[in-house]
Amino acid sequence: MIALSREAGPVSSPFTAEQQRRFDEGFEKAVAKYPPDRRRSALLAVLHLAQDELGWLSEPAMAYVGWRLDVPAVRVREVATFYTMYRLRPVGRHHIGICNSVSCWAMGSETILRHCEDRLGIHPGERTKDGQFSLEEVACLASCGTAPAAILNNFTYVENVTPESIDALIARLRTEPGQPMAPGPEPRLLEERHGIEKQSDPQATGTAGLAAATTVPTERS
Amino acid sequence: MPERVKILTVDWDKPESWSLASYQNSGGWQALPKALKMQPQQIVDEVVKSNLRGRGGAGFPAGMKWNFVRKETSFPKYLVVNADEGEPGTFKDRAVLENSPHMFVEGLVIGCYALDCHLTYVYCRGEFRRGPVARLQQAIDEAYAKGWLGKNILGSGFDLDMHVVIGAGAYICGEETALLESLEGRKGYPRLKPPFPANAGGGLFKQPTAVNNVETIANLPVIVEKGGEWFANVGVPKNGGTRLYAVSGHVNKPGVHEAPMGTTFRVLLDEYCGGMRGNRKLKAIIPGGSSSAVMTADEVDWASDFDTLKAKKTMAGSGGVVYLDEDTNMAFALANVMRFYAHESCGQCTPCREGTAWLSRLLDKICAGRGEKQDVDNVHQIARQMEMKTICALADGAAMPAKSYIEKFRADFDALVRG
Repeated sequence: MIALSREAGPVSSPFTAEQQRRFDEGFEKAVAKYPPDRRRSALLAVLHLAQDELGWLSEPAMAYVGWRLDVPAVRVREVATFYTMYRLRPVGRHHIGICNSVSCWAMGSETILRHCEDRLGIHPGERTKDGQFSLEEVACLASCGTAPAAILNNFTYVENVTPESIDALIARLRTEPGQPMAPGPEPRLLEERHGIEKQSDPQATGTAGLAAATTVPTERS
Repeated sequence: MPERVKILTVDWDKPESWSLASYQNSGGWQALPKALKMQPQQIVDEVVKSNLRGRGGAGFPAGMKWNFVRKETSFPKYLVVNADEGEPGTFKDRAVLENSPHMFVEGLVIGCYALDCHLTYVYCRGEFRRGPVARLQQAIDEAYAKGWLGKNILGSGFDLDMHVVIGAGAYICGEETALLESLEGRKGYPRLKPPFPANAGGGLFKQPTAVNNVETIANLPVIVEKGGEWFANVGVPKNGGTRLYAVSGHVNKPGVHEAPMGTTFRVLLDEYCGGMRGNRKLKAIIPGGSSSAVMTADEVDWASDFDTLKAKKTMAGSGGVVYLDEDTNMAFALANVMRFYAHESCGQCTPCREGTAWLSRLLDKICAGRGEKQDVDNVHQIARQMEMKTICALADGAAMPAKSYIEKFRADFDALVRG
């Protein structure tokens, strides 16, 4: 394989010193799982490590991962775009995935999804303007006996979800301070479709999602 | 009440059943010393005798698969465990890793010894990272500390390293060759077969590789301890042991229920799951994950073993059983199932990539009340044309529900369309 990325010379790290330390530690462990001539196989694990630090996979992050593993940039991109858990643009500090596969569907997951949309004012695939929440419809989580199920930030299961428990979860998450996120595309909000009243000062910085919290959810037919 | 034979779930109601102490208290880690005194081929012979069938979905005889790998002369050989549980309706492997990680690890050491394998990977779906993977990693770390993994295990001269690797969200990586691609750090495109993974050129790093399901591996300690014959007698002919039925849907007690292979869907529903929720009428049964052909309420007395269901043109699949009640509209259910396959098709083969998306669009149109009778016929026709035309079985897994939902619940579709 032609190591295009390494021929291009060192790629600068997208991490802070503290992030770099954690990344390097994880990198060594991930690569050590494979035979020495197969270290490139750790690509998925190393992309996870980069995303753990940055919240999503920016272009510089992907370039850096490619350089560290000696994997061509095109293959890093191919992998990052294939798997759904990698984020190619910033998501909210609290990324909520609602399972809508058949068992959860039978137990009312579509109601849960609509409820989240109304509460947060966003569609699946979008992020609130304050960057605190994003929403996604996810495929079966292997949580069918405790349906409907949701997953928080890729790895934390939330089970036996009801509209009330989702409200409680969102309320709790609002009190957990959000971290500043890297700038990304502006989210499309629900206001127009739902006729949700616009706030006079829409989601000013520091009021973590207050605007969405004070909107009255509209009922759907 | 049937006699409840418990093999895998025996400790699950105990506090901290996942701990080393709990597993040892119930006689755990006793099978490994016994196995290490046997010849590797003897273990494979016991597995053949046990009629252990692969629990991931295909139901392939585990002993036969292992003999394919043993016959290969190319080394190293690998054993890779498929813990990428993603088939809608299935959640039993997660339960094994969360409740009995030590039983699984012990089984995996035994399996690797039987296959002369010295490096093994457990490929878990990414979402399992904080929960099941953490439990599994703890069990692995404890096994290393006790000398059940690493160099010269229990003085036998057998070396083994075990690693957990996580995916990143892709149903297709549950297909064994897509899993191997992913394990090698690539996107999950299934490989063209032959060569099969068990053969040189087809497995991990092109070496002979057995890919086994979590539940299959977790059965190995008891097979070594009690013998293949004992295990075979628990089930029905050619289907040894118990099965973990992951039951969901409109039942009173959803969850993972361990029952002998071949238990009927009526017994499973009434005696294990407490019947239908709210005493509602049963309408449909998904017998083995969403890829299996659906069953009607009249078919509730069918036995759930691999061979019976294959003869009935459906499949036991992954053991994910979904009971649906009389309020369920099967056209909407199929539209939901098809959205899943359209989303998860990897895009490599045209009949699957285009077919699943086309079916999904047609079904959404039907459910939106804009469909015509011809659309229902088209769904059935397109599904038939997708079968047996692709590299892996995802397209077949989408076609089976599409055909069977229409054949068995046509009225639900016709009520939504014109003409």
